[in-house]
Amino acid sequence: MVVDLSSCVRCYACLAACRIEHFLPMGMSWPRLIELETGGDNPTVSTYSVRCNQCKDAPCVEVCPTGATQQRGDGIVWVDQNKCVGCRYCVVACPYQNRTFLSKDKDKGFFPGIVQTDFEKAGKKLYQHQIGTTEKCNFCAERIDVGLAKGLKPGIDREATPACVNTCPAKALTFGDLDEPDSEVSRLIREKGGFQLHPEYNTDPSIYFIDGKIGQVEATKIEDRHQKEPHTVGVGD
Amino acid sequence: MGEKKIIKTTCKSCHGGCGALVTVEDGVIIHIEGNPESPTRGTMCSKGLSSIQHINHPDRLLYPLKRMGKRGEGKWERISWDEALDTIEQKMKESIAKHGASSIAVSQGTGRGYNEYTHRFARSIGTANIITPGYICHSPRLGLYGLVTGYGRLYCDYHGWGGEFPKTQISWAKQLEISSADGEMAVWFLDSLKHVKNLIVIDPRETALSSRATLWLQIRPGTDAALALAMINVIINEGLYDRDFVENWTYGFENLKERVQEYTPERAAEITWLKAEDIRKAARLFAEDTPGCIQIGSSLERQANCGQTLRSIICLLGVTGNIERPGSMVAWMPPDTGLREDFFTEIPITPEMRKGIVGSDEYKMGAARTAHSDTVIKQLLNGNSVIKVWFSVGGQQILHLANTTEVIRALKNLEFLVHADQFMGPMAEIADILLPAAHWLEIDDIYDMHPRFMIEAHNRTVNPPGEAWQDSKIFNEVGKRLAPQYWFENVEKMLDYQLKKGNMTWKDFSKKVVHARMGKDQIYYKYKTDYWRKGGGFPTPTGKMELYSTVLEDLGYDPLPYFQEPGESSVSTPDLAKEFPLVLTTGYRQPFYFLSQYRNIPWLRSFQKDPVMQIHPDTAKQYGIEDGDWAWIESPRGRIKQKARLFPGILRGVVMATANCFYPEEPGPLHGLLKSNPNVLTNNNHCDPMYGSPDLTALLCKVYKAEDEK
Ligand code: SF4
Ligand code: SF4
Ligand code: SF4
Repeated sequence: MVVDLSSCVRCYACLAACRIEHFLPMGMSWPRLIELETGGDNPTVSTYSVRCNQCKDAPCVEVCPTGATQQRGDGIVWVDQNKCVGCRYCVVACPYQNRTFLSKDKDKGFFPGIVQTDFEKAGKKLYQHQIGTTEKCNFCAERIDVGLAKGLKPGIDREATPACVNTCPAKALTFGDLDEPDSEVSRLIREKGGFQLHPEYNTDPSIYFIDGKIGQVEATKIEDRHQKEPHTVGVGD
Repeated sequence: MGEKKIIKTTCKSCHGGCGALVTVEDGVIIHIEGNPESPTRGTMCSKGLSSIQHINHPDRLLYPLKRMGKRGEGKWERISWDEALDTIEQKMKESIAKHGASSIAVSQGTGRGYNEYTHRFARSIGTANIITPGYICHSPRLGLYGLVTGYGRLYCDYHGWGGEFPKTQISWAKQLEISSADGEMAVWFLDSLKHVKNLIVIDPRETALSSRATLWLQIRPGTDAALALAMINVIINEGLYDRDFVENWTYGFENLKERVQEYTPERAAEITWLKAEDIRKAARLFAEDTPGCIQIGSSLERQANCGQTLRSIICLLGVTGNIERPGSMVAWMPPDTGLREDFFTEIPITPEMRKGIVGSDEYKMGAARTAHSDTVIKQLLNGNSVIKVWFSVGGQQILHLANTTEVIRALKNLEFLVHADQFMGPMAEIADILLPAAHWLEIDDIYDMHPRFMIEAHNRTVNPPGEAWQDSKIFNEVGKRLAPQYWFENVEKMLDYQLKKGNMTWKDFSKKVVHARMGKDQIYYKYKTDYWRKGGGFPTPTGKMELYSTVLEDLGYDPLPYFQEPGESSVSTPDLAKEFPLVLTTGYRQPFYFLSQYRNIPWLRSFQKDPVMQIHPDTAKQYGIEDGDWAWIESPRGRIKQKARLFPGILRGVVMATANCFYPEEPGPLHGLLKSNPNVLTNNNHCDPMYGSPDLTALLCKVYKAEDEK
């Protein structure tokens, strides 16, 4: 995944999309927005939409004593809730603090003590959240798998692409295969100087960030007014 | 497994219009996401997605209620719809018989697709005393664009239908990127940025776009007209204006030229706290890299100099020829179903209705078709109120009007207040009759986008809870009792009626979901065609785009734009500024709330629990305030507290308070209304001469730590 800091508009849609996609309990948020401020006379604030980095050398996988946290062939790191015993080694091991232990008090309902909504009741059946286990972003593995089974391509076809990526109005999130040199994510990293957060942690994250100025390109003339998606050119230098 | 279906509909959790796909299984919504086939290409924001917690909310109003105890005491009795409607009918008829139809006011919140009903209802019963937040949000723009385009709408061409995208964009006091304000969708604006060469952001504080823009002008709140006039000064004096457009299609260029001479960049720099060289740079970029467009934010309309500020900006568009050219500002043509306004303009305002409009003698632009809210409040306080009965739908005037303390006292003097809402809140608490309203996921209705080039369908996905009704049904049923000739057998017939020009029924449209005039079907350069005027020209008395407005001149206003200091500032009220040394602006919005809505939606509230005021760390230090402290903000009208966020991205000396906040979870009748709502601080005595807009976003205040709070 590539996150474009110059495009993100701090709208929080990615957080909400993940919550509804996975019927997240009230106290749980898989992605987060983190602000980085620089003061001075030209203050800037960068907002990082962060989530589990699906690190290639994932310390959480290494420390998990039960094998609940594991990595798939495609690189997605996930937690088998049936195996997780809640030891929380992984929570400590993740240097990016992207894991949350689902304690009883985090499993609050939307309206605790008042009502369990129909949506929450449906969620209990449709998506497992085991109290006493650890949770995190799984790159919408379920969605990807359903899409792949239909022959769709993650990052291109919506049904095989994470919910947060789909809903982002700013196209700040791009999904795809890092191992494929021609994929959009590989191109962005190459051409826009993609960087990983805290490379010094040596975990080789699968999420890269890019940044730049808005509007440093010549305005585009559109040849064909009837193109469904207007032809776009890259932004930034 | 039961029945599972995916329903296509349209979100209006904000001004709205995102296409939504709603998955319903056994009558329960289990998923919401954007509809990729809609013009918003499958994106939705946190508010729209969190609707799932809205419709299932335990605090929804379920039944009509009647007040039992004293006003605001919180004692209610459930009544039937029949009883509610009977009472409303009887009260309105009595008031009409005794005081005339103008004694009835109909109020609404933001115009989100139901305003056609509000206006039609009011006109059908013979009153034009419609109370809307329009005069501080969007109406001044429409009215002043109307002096250019006749029907009052000019929007940025983000769509490239004419073959070009804007090369220079100015985002002026606006955060369209997080607001989809006025139905100009964030996603269109953001997509258009891929084609932009220069993005100029005019905002006293850093936004997601400002620090990555070509130029960011951190302006002193309330001085925008000075900036616009100085930009025109540079553009004219450096010969950068669009000669062809100015010579052939504008009126009064020489007068404008003369007027702007006093607004040199140096003088404007003093007024605005900007650098003269930045003003020059902005002017040159906008004049040289065309086409360009300006996105105007409603902060400019929440100031008592709003009319002339907007006139200045419109003249800036005029001298650069950024009208009706592809990639500039365009008046979109509606689809064949016509303008949604036809549904109420077909009932004209009679001279008698016009005479009865509260505030019409003073605010000739703002109170021509609707009442002036602040005058209504003053009259209620003074005991000479024209308004006796108030029918309030879809908004809480008690929150958004200036000077909350006065507003609360005034509303108590009403003879009768009916309020329709989804939840109990400060406005509902003081009503005599309370009607339960439905959410967009629960209604069949037509949604119009402000840019007017399309309409969209809201398709009911689930039934409203209890006995809640959609707004259109409420108006239709009350309307049938008071003015049956204008109302319909049922809602579906009413929807059919609104679509008939397009040869569609509601059922056809409901399947179609979007009905738009886009792409090649839009015509640019309308002034070169017979569209507005036979033989070409603008729909103005002179047939030209009036830089010098003959219409305003006839109404007794200055036909040329000028800058005026805000009613309170270190310049206009230096003595007051000694006690209240900081600039107060109350326009802070968060992307997950919409005006006064959604503080009771758990997911959204989790993003920011308490109302936040932004203040520069250096300023905060001066007043002993640290990040996260609760701080008092005080103006001559009162004081509120908000949580301080020390933010290097805001101008020193400016306090930006979160707007329209209350605490739904706190006890009634006020639900914490006086605790943090910045309208406790705002001023309803000083209003724009044209529109009546009060100073809300440029005032004076002082701040200090709230010692009693952690
Ligand atoms: S949805 Fe996109 S723009 Fe919005 S906060 Fe997330 S990453 Fe940023
Ligand atoms: S990729 Fe999926 S699981 Fe991860 S943050 Fe986005 S929506 Fe949530
Ligand atoms: S931007 Fe507005 S219309 Fe779109 S999902 Fe959000 S609330 Fe709904």
